[in-house]
Amino acid sequence: MATDTLIDRRIAAPAAAQPRRVFVIDDDDVMLLTCRRTLEKDGYDVETFQNGLDGIRRIEQLQPQLLLVDLKMPELDGLQVIERVRKVDPDVVIAVITGYATISTAVEAMKAGAYDFLPKPFTPDELRLIVNRGHERWRLATESARLRREKEEAERRFVTFVSHQLKTPVVAAKQYLDVLLYTSASELTPRTQEWLKRAQARLDEMLTLIGDWLELARIERGIDSIGEPLMTSDLRKVISDVIDASQAHAQSAVVTLETDLAADVGPVRGDVVSLATVVSNLISNGIKYNRVGGRVTVRTRLEGGMAVVEVGDTGIGIAEESLPRLFQEFCRVKNDQTRDIPGTGLGLAICKRIVATLGGSIGVRSHVGEGSTFVVQIPTAART
Amino acid sequence: MTTPRSVLIIDDDPDFAQAVGGLLASSGYEVMTASNGRDGLDRAKKELPDLILLDVMMTERTEGFFTLQQIRRVPALQHTPVIVVSSIYTDQSVFRVNPEAGWLPASLFLPKPVDPARLLQESARLIDELAATTSGEPRAGSVTR
Repeated sequence: MATDTLIDRRIAAPAAAQPRRVFVIDDDDVMLLTCRRTLEKDGYDVETFQNGLDGIRRIEQLQPQLLLVDLKMPELDGLQVIERVRKVDPDVVIAVITGYATISTAVEAMKAGAYDFLPKPFTPDELRLIVNRGHERWRLATESARLRREKEEAERRFVTFVSHQLKTPVVAAKQYLDVLLYTSASELTPRTQEWLKRAQARLDEMLTLIGDWLELARIERGIDSIGEPLMTSDLRKVISDVIDASQAHAQSAVVTLETDLAADVGPVRGDVVSLATVVSNLISNGIKYNRVGGRVTVRTRLEGGMAVVEVGDTGIGIAEESLPRLFQEFCRVKNDQTRDIPGTGLGLAICKRIVATLGGSIGVRSHVGEGSTFVVQIPTAART
Repeated sequence: MTTPRSVLIIDDDPDFAQAVGGLLASSGYEVMTASNGRDGLDRAKKELPDLILLDVMMTERTEGFFTLQQIRRVPALQHTPVIVVSSIYTDQSVFRVNPEAGWLPASLFLPKPVDPARLLQESARLIDELAATTSGEPRAGSVTR
């Protein structure tokens, strides 16, 4: 689960239960008194602090929506306060009180994370305006975050629902066919066996399509853990494992798998599942679109802080006019040679999404009749 | 005469239970079924099957895992081979969970739909392995037939 931030707790709490609370941080106690008087009259709960550290210490406990902080203070100045506040609560709205009505001071404050500024001297009305505006902003941001979270939750439930509900009946149907063909083959006429096998194959197609579509949906919605900044994996091991897993497929297609993996290509950004999906899709394509007796070669090298993976095949190649659409969803090159090759048309779209999320890129070099080489670049772990 | 080996299938999908039950029966197993975790646990305690097939995703999301934990808590069932099946599990080797990893006390994961040959092979293997390690001595709580 994601860490429980202050805004998580706020979204969870009913809106009515949260008092409108303002922190005022200023070494000038007359200023503090004036702010308190004005804002309490408007129904705000006001906490005042003469130095930044005291204020920061109470943020997590009291959870103000708005912070008013003087830029010029002796110990911790306003900008330093802003920096530290952001670490504790990235969502509290900050307005700075500036001594000089200069643009540069205000801009500096905004760049540091302030939402608004209030130049001294100011009237009670000017103070009210800034505080109300800031509070309104907080309310909108919280509401928006809450709605976004609800949407994500709904999408997650949808993906899980589709996954289970669509797959279950297909899996059950296929299970019957699998058992039937295994146990009763001798009782079935050749034609019956043939037709049952055709039914099996079509159900397999359905299962693969559901799996691919779901994968794409998950990636698109960022539901997976793809691209979480701290996730790194050993690319060399991933490739090696996928090659092992692909041997059966390669052998049945009479295609050899070769690797030429640079020793210095190891940890890259991304989780094992995502990386394996990309490598697996490319190798699988390399086998499917190949000739009998052909080869699929996987090479890696380092280039400018990126791990470059090239998956080349000695297959039928791709026509130039098909290249631009290649990574689109459901794009399948249809011609006499590819007619009988199974596939959902989502494999490359999935690869592209994963690679993009990891901050990398994917491309292809190909000529009809000469095979294709897919080139993937993924940031190495050292870079992140 | 050798006693037929028994298998308990715990799965809320009656079609899966019937298809796979039929497969195991045709291979000489005595087949029992339960359609939820609780009934499955009760049946397992009572019948002490030689093998359990458990669906990890039943009606309640954590029902399968929870049932597995409960099964392992029963002394007589501690070493019973359990094959966990799931339609969400993919068979690629990179994703294979090491059953010895300790976090999930299953003997084996199989994806649904299960490959008949593989299921029969693994079932026989798991039962034989257990028999070999206990060197033919009766398990605690087992009934001599």
